Amino acid sequence: MISALDISASGLTAQRTRLTAIANNIANISTTHDESGAPEAYQPRFSVFETDDAVRGPHGAVGVRVASVEIADVEPRWRYQPYHPDAVQEGERKGYVAYPNISVMTEFTDALEATRAYEANLGVIDVTKEMVQQTLRILA
Amino acid sequence: MLAQLFNSTTIPVLEQVAGFAQDRHQVLAGNLANIDTPGYRTRDLPPELFEASLKKALRARDQNNQPAAPGGYRRPSNPLAEVRGDVKSMVRHDENNTGFEAQITEIAKNQMTHSLAMSVLVNQFQLLGAAISERA
Repeated sequence: MISALDISASGLTAQRTRLTAIANNIANISTTHDESGAPEAYQPRFSVFETDDAVRGPHGAVGVRVASVEIADVEPRWRYQPYHPDAVQEGERKGYVAYPNISVMTEFTDALEATRAYEANLGVIDVTKEMVQQTLRILA
Repeated sequence: MLAQLFNSTTIPVLEQVAGFAQDRHQVLAGNLANIDTPGYRTRDLPPELFEASLKKALRARDQNNQPAAPGGYRRPSNPLAEVRGDVKSMVRHDENNTGFEAQITEIAKNQMTHSLAMSVLVNQFQLLGAAISERA
């Protein structure tokens, strides 16, 4: 019975990691160069989930874990800003700055979905706690 | 002597029902935790199977006047075959078919079953206690 708590907790952790990636994407929506200062549009991150056999209950109940956090390889959004320090210096894109191609709409719907899933797991934890308490009450 | 005492009540049956509800709750919790896992298929312990096997065990007990040993619910040997026949759920583009609302409803129903079994169980123990101590 207690493993139901672990399973729901694994769901909480996974959804929170996903939400962190989304927050990361939105925070970096205008980032035009990387840590070393080289001009490069920030690429959005997204998390991939998989079932976690380490967190399991009887009869095939399994938890979830983040398998990996992937970096999307998308074409940047080009904006003409010739005086920007990260602007392309030569070639056909001269004067253009590579901005991250992040869809706020997609990120927000994803965030909403992650929040709801997080809440659902919290709800299950409440139910589990009540069932355990009810069982213990036989002794009282 | 004790076995006879408990067999005259519904305690062994309620114990099985509560145990099944707890096991099923864990499986349903796993379904909700994996709501966004690509390729995950909904898992379940069908209550119908459990009820049928419990009914059979109870009938055997009544016929032979044997101590009840119900339970014995089994997972279907091929869970995917069960899933395929399930028209309540739809496989999404990430190959996951967990229906959010359906799972929540099942968890609520399962909790009520557990709560019912537990309430009656506590009551049965109180009755036994009253009989033993000769006061209610």
